[in-house]
Amino acid sequence: MENLIGIFVQSIFINNMIFAYFLGMCSFLAVSKKVSTALGLGAAVVFVLLITVPVNYLINKYLLQAGALSWLGEQYNDVDLGFLSFIIFIAVIAWIVQVVEMIVEKFTPTLYNQLGIFLPLIAVNCAVLGASLFMQEREYSTVAEATVFGFGSGIGWLLGIVGIAAIREKMAYSKVPPALKGLGITFIVTGLMAIAFMSFSGIEIKID
Amino acid sequence: MNRDSNVYTVLYAAVLVVIVAAALAVAAGALKAPQEKNKEVEKKMNILTSVDKIHDVSKADDKNTYIENEYKKYIVEAFLVDANGKRVEGDAFNMDLKAELKKPERERLLPVFVCNDKGNKQYIIPVRGAGLWGAIWGYVALNDDFSTVYGAVFDHAGETPGLGAEIALPEFQKQFSGKKIYRDGKFASVEVLKNGSAPLNDYNVDGITGGTITSKAVGKMIFDCLSNYTKFFDLQKQNN
Amino acid sequence: MSEKESLFSEKNIKLFTDPFNNGNPITVLVLGICSALAVTVKLQPAIVMGLSVTIVTGFASFIISLLRNTIPNRIRIIVQLVVVAALVILVDQILKAYVYDVSKQLSVFVGLIITNCIIMGRIEAFALGNKPLPSLIDGLGNGAAYGMILVIVAFCRELLGSGTLFGIRIVPESFYVKAGGFYENNGMMVLPPAALIILGVIIWVHRSVNKKLIEK
Repeated sequence: MENLIGIFVQSIFINNMIFAYFLGMCSFLAVSKKVSTALGLGAAVVFVLLITVPVNYLINKYLLQAGALSWLGEQYNDVDLGFLSFIIFIAVIAWIVQVVEMIVEKFTPTLYNQLGIFLPLIAVNCAVLGASLFMQEREYSTVAEATVFGFGSGIGWLLGIVGIAAIREKMAYSKVPPALKGLGITFIVTGLMAIAFMSFSGIEIKID
Repeated sequence: MNRDSNVYTVLYAAVLVVIVAAALAVAAGALKAPQEKNKEVEKKMNILTSVDKIHDVSKADDKNTYIENEYKKYIVEAFLVDANGKRVEGDAFNMDLKAELKKPERERLLPVFVCNDKGNKQYIIPVRGAGLWGAIWGYVALNDDFSTVYGAVFDHAGETPGLGAEIALPEFQKQFSGKKIYRDGKFASVEVLKNGSAPLNDYNVDGITGGTITSKAVGKMIFDCLSNYTKFFDLQKQNN
Repeated sequence: MSEKESLFSEKNIKLFTDPFNNGNPITVLVLGICSALAVTVKLQPAIVMGLSVTIVTGFASFIISLLRNTIPNRIRIIVQLVVVAALVILVDQILKAYVYDVSKQLSVFVGLIITNCIIMGRIEAFALGNKPLPSLIDGLGNGAAYGMILVIVAFCRELLGSGTLFGIRIVPESFYVKAGGFYENNGMMVLPPAALIILGVIIWVHRSVNKKLIEK
């Protein structure tokens, strides 16, 4: 349990997808002009990460890893499909995003109206693929850990995009040097937010 | 042909998947040998670095051959040690340390590499543990008195750059040589202190400024891994 | 565009050079920042990353352009993703086999080239409507312009953060406080926020020089 809390806190604050790894920057910059849209995209990302990371975890564990196919029989012990992981992960993500879109559209049209336009964007959001690749590289030992990691990464991303959107709304009233307007100042503010987030790295958590 | 028909779409997808899968499988197969070689050479280089035998790798024409030759020259033996400190034959080089450390202590078979440089023997022990963000690992070389550290080398998966990641630098690793792992006849390992928190002596080293958690994790990793070998050390000392 | 047009026609050269200024993928179009800034602490991985992206962008555009009249509409995006992912896997395998040290530093970021928006962006915006050769040039130009930004960021970060370039010491040891000098590396430069701030400054400089890019 402690371990899970550790992973959760770490993935939100310390290894934040945006501030520590610059993942999902494209949509982060494009969809952060208003807090309400930022919140919608953020929620969609949390939702998709919560599903894709554990699914990819299981695929990696039982299909791709070296020796993962041993449940099929002794003769498959040496099969290593690791080289296929990028293509399978991205296919799974694209597929899940489609399915989620259809389900949301059918059952909760209101949610679909809010999230709908963002869902297709998410398939190519680096944060989503990145979370699956980090999950693979860090070798989490249970599905629970992978799920918590996916969820935490999503929440961290949501915090980041909502925060920057709030700042950008206010910044519309500030005098920014013309050449720095828009993109330039957003990068610098993101950098400053990243510095603020770094102060969390002092948190001492035991992670096995 | 109609590009929007179902048959065409399905056929197209199937052909694409087959072509891509075949191309990737061929490439992965062809490149497997050099990839495995790289991993093997890296491991050998780490082992040699822990006994300070890598000096002019940048001058060597071919890094791989250089490392292979040096490894053959110095590493004369590699064997496994069981929970009672008894020596067991086996493939020490290719064993999976991570899997072995997950087993209960009694069932573990752990590797030892022996370096012989003109009669000076060092015993190299692989270590592995958890850092702040991910795995950390390395090799600790002991003198043949089994209580003095000859050298050490560490690496990590993803510690904080500029802070915890500095455990991979020689400045940190050099501190270990000459330290004692036995204190008043009892196994105590080498403690890694918070940077500058206490005066240094024969039993501790200074951690990295700002990288306290990773530094402490290195200390814990060395303690945990070497303590598996205490029976082996005792037996060897009796034999000496 | 006529079939006989030479490789170095004005049009093709413009296709290649435009991304370096008016159509820069990072500073103007805001594409593909995600997957690469984390590898700009040192120059060497940044260059390898830049080259990898250039190759993948160029060839992905080329292949998609070859296939552009055969791809079924409904699975267009998936086909593009599969082609890009296959190219990225090839690059990753080659890096692992021949430049192992660098591939370790790049870790998961090679895989993230797949979702680099530049690649999909160029395919959608250019390769689907143009012949293979111009598509290849357009892809290579965009990749190279992207690599250029990475190299500039990495140059600043390595020089100021570690006092080295390509691992070779530039700031003499004797300047450092440790050796009795006056100089200390800027520790901030090796940390992630520095990349964002440097990028912000690059955009500032670029737009000050090229005034028509200023946002209203």
